[in-house]
Amino acid sequence: MTQPIDTSIYAAITEAIQAEAHRILAEGEVTAIVGYAAARRKGSAQPIIITDAADSVKLIFTPACVNNLAVYLTKAKKDIPKNGKIGIVVKGCDLKALSGLMGESQLKREELYLIGVPCAGVLASTVCPDQELTGDSIAPKCTECDAHLPTGCDFVPAETLVTPELERKYAVEIARLEALTPAERWVYWKEQFAKCIKCYACRQVCPFCFCEQCLCDRNKPQMVDTTPRPAGNTAWHIVRAMHLAGRCAGCAECERVCPMDIPLNLLNRKMAKELKELYNHEAGFEVLDKGPLNMFTEKDDQSFIK
Amino acid sequence: MSRIGVFICHCGENISRTVDVERVAAEVGKMPGVSFSTDYKYMCSDPGQNLLKNAIQEQKLTHIVVAACSPRMHEKTFRKAVEAAGLNPYLCEMANIREHCSWVHENKEEATVKATEIVGMMVERVKKNRVLPTITVPVTKRSLVIGGGIAGIQAALDIADCGHEVVLVEREPSIGGHMAQLSETFPTLDCSQCIMTPKMVDVANHPKIKLYTYSEIELVEGYIGNFQVTIKKKARSVDEDRCTGCGVCMTKCPQKKIPNKFDQNIGMRTAIYVPFPQAVPNTPVIDRDNCTWYKTGKCGVCQKVCGPGAVDFEQQDQLVVEPVGAIVVATGFDLYTIDEKPKGSPIKGYGEFGHGKIPDVIDGMTFERLASASGPTGGKILRPSDGKEPKQIVFIQCIGSRAREKGISYCSKVCCMYTAKHTMLYHHKVHDGQAYVFFMDARTPGKSYDEFWRRSIEEEEAVYIRGMVSRLYQKGDKIVVMGSDIAVGVQVEIEADMVVLATAIQPQKGAELLAQKLGISYDKYNFYSEAHAKLRPVECATAGIYLAGACQGPKDIPETVSQASAAAAKVMTLFSKDQLEREPIVARVKESGCVGCFACKKVCAYGAVEEKEIRDRQGNLIKTVAFVNPGVCAGCGTCQATCPSKSVELDGYTDEQVIAMIEAL
Repeated sequence: MTQPIDTSIYAAITEAIQAEAHRILAEGEVTAIVGYAAARRKGSAQPIIITDAADSVKLIFTPACVNNLAVYLTKAKKDIPKNGKIGIVVKGCDLKALSGLMGESQLKREELYLIGVPCAGVLASTVCPDQELTGDSIAPKCTECDAHLPTGCDFVPAETLVTPELERKYAVEIARLEALTPAERWVYWKEQFAKCIKCYACRQVCPFCFCEQCLCDRNKPQMVDTTPRPAGNTAWHIVRAMHLAGRCAGCAECERVCPMDIPLNLLNRKMAKELKELYNHEAGFEVLDKGPLNMFTEKDDQSFIK
Repeated sequence: MSRIGVFICHCGENISRTVDVERVAAEVGKMPGVSFSTDYKYMCSDPGQNLLKNAIQEQKLTHIVVAACSPRMHEKTFRKAVEAAGLNPYLCEMANIREHCSWVHENKEEATVKATEIVGMMVERVKKNRVLPTITVPVTKRSLVIGGGIAGIQAALDIADCGHEVVLVEREPSIGGHMAQLSETFPTLDCSQCIMTPKMVDVANHPKIKLYTYSEIELVEGYIGNFQVTIKKKARSVDEDRCTGCGVCMTKCPQKKIPNKFDQNIGMRTAIYVPFPQAVPNTPVIDRDNCTWYKTGKCGVCQKVCGPGAVDFEQQDQLVVEPVGAIVVATGFDLYTIDEKPKGSPIKGYGEFGHGKIPDVIDGMTFERLASASGPTGGKILRPSDGKEPKQIVFIQCIGSRAREKGISYCSKVCCMYTAKHTMLYHHKVHDGQAYVFFMDARTPGKSYDEFWRRSIEEEEAVYIRGMVSRLYQKGDKIVVMGSDIAVGVQVEIEADMVVLATAIQPQKGAELLAQKLGISYDKYNFYSEAHAKLRPVECATAGIYLAGACQGPKDIPETVSQASAAAAKVMTLFSKDQLEREPIVARVKESGCVGCFACKKVCAYGAVEEKEIRDRQGNLIKTVAFVNPGVCAGCGTCQATCPSKSVELDGYTDEQVIAMIEAL
């Protein structure tokens, strides 16, 4: 059964973003804005960096605005002016990543102008971008979203969202996997990791993979086998999951860009669930000085010490 | 090409009993890179070390592996030997084939194979070892002493007499600590104040000692040789420079009924006060909680009568920063109280002793004040309840101490001796009185100690009853003491006029908070931990911080004074050089890979990680990276494990070395 999702306010949001973008660029409050613009195919969208107030009409917000633009502020920042405040269009999930990056000294709040977007959801895939947003076509992450309305932004269009209750796709899948025996789970993940071609698209698109040189690319000593073979693949995906534990905010870009359809965010969500259970930690809008795995308190669960 | 020398130790028979050392030497000799291998009965002995040194020179060895005991035991020994032979000491590694192999295995064949593999791992590791230069850091030759009791006073005087400046910080308005409260001291019965106050005056007059009383440690930053200590000087409400110590303010203060903590709350003091007449400094403090001026805004008598105009109601707390190179912690002890069950503590109270509700059940320190000539009763033993002289007095030892079921399992060490002393003082002051002592054992090791205890029984007529007391209760104006005499095997009931409890010695309240500020470790009772129970008893594991006195564990005065002097000697050893040498096992940041997430900084328990800006020649900021201060780094490796991009390496324990070890297996 296809459940329709109301995205009628996206047009009004687009107008509001354009007006605000025009104002802050014209008034010189920011030197550039990272946002979404229409791409060549009908209904599609792509990231854009604008520096001229006249270009603010190019900005849009549609269900095809899937990207997490946070990466344009860190490792993909070559087109970003070095001076002045930068404006950025953020969905709730993207804002969580920005908050994480601020906590890890990669961004400074005072150097950003956050244009928050009330978001009912985006498409799971942009292969056919010109389609209605429904319970079927929506990104799985949006079915579990608790951050439809970003807070703490400099500007948020005053539109009221209607967000229907959807089946929580990751929760269902995690429950299924948790019910398996360790051996069965291992078989499942081995199959998934075997598909990996080591294209590192997941790494490239992840806002938290901001290292200049990934430890997996180091060869003195070689920590992880770089060829796409089972041992190295498994090592890479374990490193990735462990490094994201307590940090990943669930933008699910890794999963979206994976050409081999490995359920990467499923692993991330499982790690997040563990962190919630162990340390009552959830990635949110709050900028934390120390993540849950960077500190020790006497109350920490120590049942793992046998 | 490395020329590795491997030396297999028999450790007498400790290793050779279960490991065929000759076979290990032969097997290891075949390993690539090993040009010399041999075995010897005691590698750590003088001939053993000479064997090593000669082999380095004769065989032109470049790297050394000593297969023997734990590196905790002899790594330093062998590295020194290697250095003496002209090699960098960090090109020597130890393979632990004793604790990790011979001691834990029985099958000689298997243990020999395992020992060979352990040595093989270290051979691969040592190939990756690099020359590490010794790190030197400058030393600030000033010392901080925390606590102005006898321990702190002794340490401060010793260091200052050596010509180094000392900053002495005391929480109370006067130095002196618990020793100033005591009446007489065992085993010679000389007056505590008579031997204590001259030392207090020495401190006050010493040109090298800067005294902060009524002050607390707010913050400690830095590291050995270079600490920055922030001291909070609490507002005294009296200007120390103007006050002449005439004491008129105290005689005129209308608030005269405030229990004096120095007299264990049985004596009274005024709101503007010095805790005791011999106080150093002799400058009063206004107790703002009890002062009429602070409560109602009226009075101000002390200000009116003060000739030099020293009383200052507006005085504020002050923060002072003192740079020091070493810290002696001498915060002393507190006594266990039977009054209450401390909150959140495993220590249970003494409900069966009336929970402190019986007024004539007092603790040992209160008895000291009663017996003291300067105490509230002028040295007469009188009951707090009605001021009558007790004719039957019962002393009970081990209250709290050695009582696992009450939460404390240790012995407080001084109570046997001071209870014996109390019986004597009582006998000297109340000639027709009788003293009884309930005790478990008499623990009196120490010079002239056992003689002292015997004297209390044989000459001073104290009756010692071996056994514990199960209950105390008030009956009229008597206290019924119900106990057992296990030597005779009977129940004993004594109707006493007064009961003195030898309550356990505990660390000062808040000891753990100070430890956290200092970054030193403490045990489950909050006593501070020494670096090694036997061989480094006055040093903390944190470099540059030393312990003196009862903050480390129960101690009597001679022991405390000895430890204080020992701590002072350690400080002077540190100050004997301008530059401090330390082991170069420290973390190093590979700046090219660092992205400045500062996860390392967040996990560093020593505050060793700093932020460093990298700029180009025009001065433009390229990036901010982590920097490990080698003077502070303790080499724990937490940053190395935390760094997501593996941009931190711990010298001597690099990933390359560890992976080489794993791959050798």
